[in-house]
Amino acid sequence: MSGSETPFSEVAAWNLFDVNARVGPSGVHGELALDTAGLLEEMDRFHIREAVVSHWTAEEYDAETGNRALARDLDARFTPAWAALPDEASVASLAAIQPAAVRLTPGTAQHNFSTAPWCAGPLFEYLQEHAVVTLIARPDIEWPALAALLENFPRLPVVLLDIGYRADRHLFPLLRRFPMLHFDSATYLAHRQLEAFVEQHGAGRVLFGSRLPLFTPGSALAVLASARISDADRLAIAGGNLHHLLARAVGRTA
Amino acid sequence: MRSPIPIADCHGHVGTHPDFPAYHAESAEMVAVMDHLNIERLAVTSTLACYNDCPRGNAEVADVLARYPDRFWGYVTVNPNPPGQALAELEKWAAFHTPPLIKFHPSLHKYPVHGKHYQPVWDYANQTGAVVLVHTWDSDPNCGPLLFPAIARQCPKARILLGHSGVTWRGYMQAVEAAHAAPNLYLDLSGSQRHRLILERIVEALGLERILFGSDLPFLEASMTLGQVLAARIPDAAREMILRNNFLRLISGA
Repeated sequence: MSGSETPFSEVAAWNLFDVNARVGPSGVHGELALDTAGLLEEMDRFHIREAVVSHWTAEEYDAETGNRALARDLDARFTPAWAALPDEASVASLAAIQPAAVRLTPGTAQHNFSTAPWCAGPLFEYLQEHAVVTLIARPDIEWPALAALLENFPRLPVVLLDIGYRADRHLFPLLRRFPMLHFDSATYLAHRQLEAFVEQHGAGRVLFGSRLPLFTPGSALAVLASARISDADRLAIAGGNLHHLLARAVGRTA
Repeated sequence: MRSPIPIADCHGHVGTHPDFPAYHAESAEMVAVMDHLNIERLAVTSTLACYNDCPRGNAEVADVLARYPDRFWGYVTVNPNPPGQALAELEKWAAFHTPPLIKFHPSLHKYPVHGKHYQPVWDYANQTGAVVLVHTWDSDPNCGPLLFPAIARQCPKARILLGHSGVTWRGYMQAVEAAHAAPNLYLDLSGSQRHRLILERIVEALGLERILFGSDLPFLEASMTLGQVLAARIPDAAREMILRNNFLRLISGA
């Protein structure tokens, strides 16, 4: 297993589709940030065929600048997760590119907006109407705001990223109430938590996420590989669920 | 996925947690996971003791050791807050292991690792050549890694495991800095943040002998740390040291 070889050859047939990856330079994460070639190399190493990719420049700096950088850094294996803001111009820009996915960063230290209808109503109306897969990291939205967002836009396909392993008492009631809520597996890493979730709730709401380039995909893959779940459930989490969600996006071109 | 090397695991628990549901956390279920991943033996501390009640918690460890004498080692967990309790617990459970295995949790006990109430236990650890596992966290005033070089120099016969190695990327860098300053400080890989490249960087910085595999089972999913170790670009000889040899050497007193 020296060099570039990994012990994950068994996942090569899983058609892995990663919902949680970022590309581009980071002002915070130093050597961990990857350009397009570097991200593709890591994906190859772990047999990840495709990824939903957002851009660090959008997350750490400005949405429009970040979207231009994402357009520049795209690869055919990436599904872009565009940044979006609640203003009219941003919604119009989204409509022009007909996105399949967005990644929102509403936190006060980032793009600093409320997800309530009085602030971001037109944005979420557009995203819901077009079934755009909407990624939001859990640290970027508090539970009450998330619950309100789902109440107001129940058909919006939300993927909660970086949920951590302590969230079940918040997560389960929301999953029961809102069928379009999903979450990624990158940080859902408590002891036998994934297999317990699948036992109790089925596999349809979990999407494989690596958290590249910050985390090694080796950890989330090892958890998925060693979970005592059916092969059908494993494949659904590995990529089937995400393919299904993205296929619902209306009029997608990007 | 399974370890090709029988693992000697330096960091595990018995018990559950207050802030999220436990799944399959009973000792028999832990052994099933250990068999599945090829964890030959696991050193455990009581979670009850880490939070609230050392006497009852250490008794839980004694029970597990009695039922599975070949699968677990036991840490005696001590709390510096109840006067006189820590040394009494060490004397009561001296049969757990020679040299003693001791666990501190300064974060949950809300008492600094360099505070005077810990001093009698540090003296005991130095006199007995104990292995002391201490929970650490990036820059934490009670247990940040940079607090440890001074303690380690005052207790040169104790072997101190920096539990979780400070957790974050910066915490790991602090742990490396601490380990450079004192030869009896060791890094434990358990923890929830599985940063890409971190294992490669600490092997480069510290060599092979002071890095130990810890799963944090049944708190965290053991396969995630195993996946990180198996996927890292390090020599196979390093993997064997990390997964097995280093902890066996440490607890043998050599």
